[in-house]
Amino acid sequence: MHMFLEQFLNGLTIGSFYALVAMGYSMVYGVMKLVNFAHGDLFTLGSYLGYTILVFGAGWITRVLGIWGGVVVAISGAMIAVGIVGLVVERIAYRPVYKVGRLPVVASALGMSIFISNGIMAIWGPRFQAYPQNAIPSNILSFSDIRITFVKLITLLVSLGLMAFIYWLVEKTLFGAAVRAMALDRDTATLMGIDFNTIILFAFFVGPALGAMAGVFAGLNYGRIIFNLGWVYGLKAFTATILGGIGNIPGAMIGGLLLGVMESLFEGFVSGAWKNVFVFLVLIIILIVRPTGLIGEKVAEKV
Amino acid sequence: MAEIIRKVTQRILKSQKRSKVPLKSSPLQLALLALVIIFLIVYPFLPFINNYWIDVGFFVGIYVLLGLSLNIVLGEVGLFDLGHAAFYAIGAYTTGILFIQLHIPIVALLPISAIVAGGFAYLVTFPIIHLRGDYLCIVTIGIGEVVRITALNNPFGLTKGANGITGIGNPNFGLFSLHTPTHFYYYIWSIVVLVIIGLLNLQKSRVGRAWNFIREDEIATEANGIDVRSYKLLAFVLGAALAGIAGNVYASTMMTISPDNFTFMESCLLFCIVLLGGLGSISGNLLGAATIVIFPEIFRQFASYRLLFFGAVLVVMMIFRPGGIWPRRREGIGFRGLGISGLPPDEDEFLKKILKKAALVPQGADPASRSSLKTETVNEKVNGDLILETQGVTMRFGGLMAVNQFDLKIREGKITSLIGPNGAGKTTLFNVITGIYRPTSGKVIFMSQDITDLKPHVIISKGIARTFQNIRLFPSLTCIENVMSGPHCHAHSGTWSSIFHPPSQKKEERQILEIASYRLHQVGLWQYRNELAKSLPYGKQRLLEIARALATSPKLIILDEPSSGLNDKETEELMDFLKKRIAEGFTLLLIEHDMNVVMGISDWVTVMDMGSKIAEGLPREIYNNPRVIEAYLGKEE
Amino acid sequence: MAVLGANGAGKTTLLKAISRLVHIKSGSIKLKGEDLNKFPAFQLASLGVAHIPEGRKVFATLTVEENLNLGSWGIRNKINSQDLQKNKDWIFHLFPILKQRRKQLAGTLSGGEQQMLTIGRGLISRPKILLLDEPSLGLAPILVQEIFQVIKQIHDEEGVSILLVEQNARKALGVAHYGYILETGKIAIHGPAAQLEEDERVRAAYLGGARIQPVK
Repeated sequence: MHMFLEQFLNGLTIGSFYALVAMGYSMVYGVMKLVNFAHGDLFTLGSYLGYTILVFGAGWITRVLGIWGGVVVAISGAMIAVGIVGLVVERIAYRPVYKVGRLPVVASALGMSIFISNGIMAIWGPRFQAYPQNAIPSNILSFSDIRITFVKLITLLVSLGLMAFIYWLVEKTLFGAAVRAMALDRDTATLMGIDFNTIILFAFFVGPALGAMAGVFAGLNYGRIIFNLGWVYGLKAFTATILGGIGNIPGAMIGGLLLGVMESLFEGFVSGAWKNVFVFLVLIIILIVRPTGLIGEKVAEKV
Repeated sequence: MAEIIRKVTQRILKSQKRSKVPLKSSPLQLALLALVIIFLIVYPFLPFINNYWIDVGFFVGIYVLLGLSLNIVLGEVGLFDLGHAAFYAIGAYTTGILFIQLHIPIVALLPISAIVAGGFAYLVTFPIIHLRGDYLCIVTIGIGEVVRITALNNPFGLTKGANGITGIGNPNFGLFSLHTPTHFYYYIWSIVVLVIIGLLNLQKSRVGRAWNFIREDEIATEANGIDVRSYKLLAFVLGAALAGIAGNVYASTMMTISPDNFTFMESCLLFCIVLLGGLGSISGNLLGAATIVIFPEIFRQFASYRLLFFGAVLVVMMIFRPGGIWPRRREGIGFRGLGISGLPPDEDEFLKKILKKAALVPQGADPASRSSLKTETVNEKVNGDLILETQGVTMRFGGLMAVNQFDLKIREGKITSLIGPNGAGKTTLFNVITGIYRPTSGKVIFMSQDITDLKPHVIISKGIARTFQNIRLFPSLTCIENVMSGPHCHAHSGTWSSIFHPPSQKKEERQILEIASYRLHQVGLWQYRNELAKSLPYGKQRLLEIARALATSPKLIILDEPSSGLNDKETEELMDFLKKRIAEGFTLLLIEHDMNVVMGISDWVTVMDMGSKIAEGLPREIYNNPRVIEAYLGKEE
Repeated sequence: MAVLGANGAGKTTLLKAISRLVHIKSGSIKLKGEDLNKFPAFQLASLGVAHIPEGRKVFATLTVEENLNLGSWGIRNKINSQDLQKNKDWIFHLFPILKQRRKQLAGTLSGGEQQMLTIGRGLISRPKILLLDEPSLGLAPILVQEIFQVIKQIHDEEGVSILLVEQNARKALGVAHYGYILETGKIAIHGPAAQLEEDERVRAAYLGGARIQPVK
């Protein structure tokens, strides 16, 4: 039971990373019918930027703002920077290619993904980098016989909080309705006065920013990062996206959490070495049995 | 060794000459080709080439082979396969495991690896082949990872985990065992040359064309009676088999394999090769592989940045030259370029011969008899004179009744028009007839056969052809290639025939070309035969689609709004053309909104409104029918 | 004003050109003297032009209320929440059934109700010009009756100028003041609606009368 709870919490943690990244996939796919391959690498970029901020600002930030202040600065800095990168990527690598056809866009996304991950390697080196210990809060909370680090707790709370916020934004506000409408029917949404470019801005800034936050949290929680971290995360996050129903943002959240928990439980009770195989099998089974996802697709129907 | 090489070279040159590009660029192309071949042959003996560079030459060969294997799936068919390294791995590990555990000789393991890899591909792609592009892509990535992780986890102690398998033997031909870089170099390149010949033959065959049709437009391909699913599976199996061969060669020359050789990055590299070289382009592939391998060798200090560079190059290429560095040229290559032999040098001569033959067939005879290919439709009997009948067809989508107890009767040799206001359900009924939808209830009877439950491509091959409201051509293929998709479903050459081109296959190809040429001429597009379909103006594209439908040698042709987008003159010409087709022996069903066309050429008009039949009769009867008038203009108040 | 004609005559394309979903090759469209060409499609709503497309294009997985709210997106900066509520009340007054179903997903509504929703959605921004594309499409006669009543009401009570594209010529001419009949993209006949109602050429244009041999 104790093991179950621990694995469950681990699962929620990693699941929240999947969820944050998956929301980005869903946002972009919903509006553009494009699988943004580079998204996972933006997650990695976020974790590296967080790392850089902490390493180079460590002394100064900790002195002025305290250790948690450092964490906040790292996260916000990474989020904003990666959000901007997301917009730039859309502008230079995707927008010129839409009119050519589907395969060139996929190829461009792949090229971008390769470029970003290798760019990270070029800048920060091919080996594991460790998040500076002195910049990570080390408090631990324990109740009954379960210990949970403060970092993990805050990760969960902030991630779930942000997901709740995005859920509210997308499902309960007029702006969110506009985003959903654009994903369903671009022409009619335009007639309503909704500007496609605004929606793109949203999808390609907020999506990557969420991914970046997940990246920094991943670094804080697991301590080490490597330049190709993003690609497996990205793949699993995409599995989560499909699990929830592509284009469905709340679905992506649930899909992510669910996948994280399933993976953690599998790792704890069956095997760690085969957990990725398990995840991919889940992906394949969902695609065969229920391709619209557990909750349902929310994209324009193809005629 | 030198003898073998010489023989192989002769064969290449001969087959190249036969299937070569027509006269204008031929000498240059041949010269270039000869240069390349000579270079490849003498390469290891060139002065500044040491063992290291011969090794590089070997790796270029491996990557050419891998690129070609992925090209079948990605380049020819257009399926996004980002996990191709999995098949490479399967080939390598099959070789490694079977050699170490069972001591099977390496040379025997080459075909075995191909078969195992191909079989694996069939098993894993069978359940997912129907998925749409992006999803298929993700699944292939997953498959790639599963294979790699399985190798890493050393199940049953076979794959030896992270360090991989070592001590794999070299290829052994009886007394002679390959063991120097030069041996390996010639080994891989002999295989590559054979594979290229086979692939070139495949490209210029029914199979290769079918793959390209699928890449251009799957729905139109299905509507021409071609079983899309089977062809996609075939592509994967062949591609995997070739990758498996590459795996075997790699394992037996390097003698060591480990999971690190088969990562996602490897699959990405292959993807880059195919895309940068040009989809479906064999020469492009060669160039792409050479670039990918040699580039980091030349710029040694930047070797670790090679992927960074290629990532950027990929993006830039997609923006500025999405066709690739050396795309496969299709327009202007002529009939010879399609690989069809036994043709007179002048294509117009060829047409004259066909027209003479056709003139011998009496008017009004079964159109299928004009085709030298046997079709299944010729001997079926027709019930009374009803060639197609829907009996009580109802189509319900959830709560919405789109078609309600519809009895459509199409008489042989007549033009029947199906008309009705927008949203009446005409397209839905049409889709039921052609097998895209299964009706909620009711039957579709064609030529006394119940075709209700048959798959779309089977229905088409039974003798129904269709055109599309929004014109679905194969835009990047030439007009003649477009029309050649028509006779496809009546031909029989399979994969092996398409690789080896026996006389029976060549004869069939000629027959396909004959039918296609005839129909192309009939719609007046003969002069555009070697031009790309997308370069035609709209009106002519419509005619091309009709030519393609005619080339299926159907009994019944269903035309979906054929006059849509045509101007008055073009519409007049179309009406004339359709009337002549009846005289030739076809039966037509039109779905039409242009009432001038309907009233002008129809023998019978059926009117549909809100899913039900509200009237049918002669055109003038329909014109004066109060219910019809009400449906279109609204009730008198 | 009614724009009539058989299918494929170009009626929908005309509306799409006006609302800038489709680019025009030549000629110009002017709104109160200003050339519309320089505005991108999504700005038309804020200019007071509402295009209600054919085919009952509701946002199926959004609620009725959300659909209506989105109709006001184009003018969201010019309107406060009270005015928005007033507009909504007006729509609910015109189409009481929508008020009943306001929390339901738009995809679960019947065809007629969806049509009412698209019209309400277009009207909620109080446009000065309404482009209506085939509102009667696929609807039962009694619903068609209701909708045309509303169309008349909108014009008479609110002074909205309406460009109505319709297949149901009689109904359209019944409410319109002026009519245009399109054939293959050109204006074939035009005139005051009352005149067109009597014109035999209308039937010919719809049903291809030119091709019919006269009955002896």
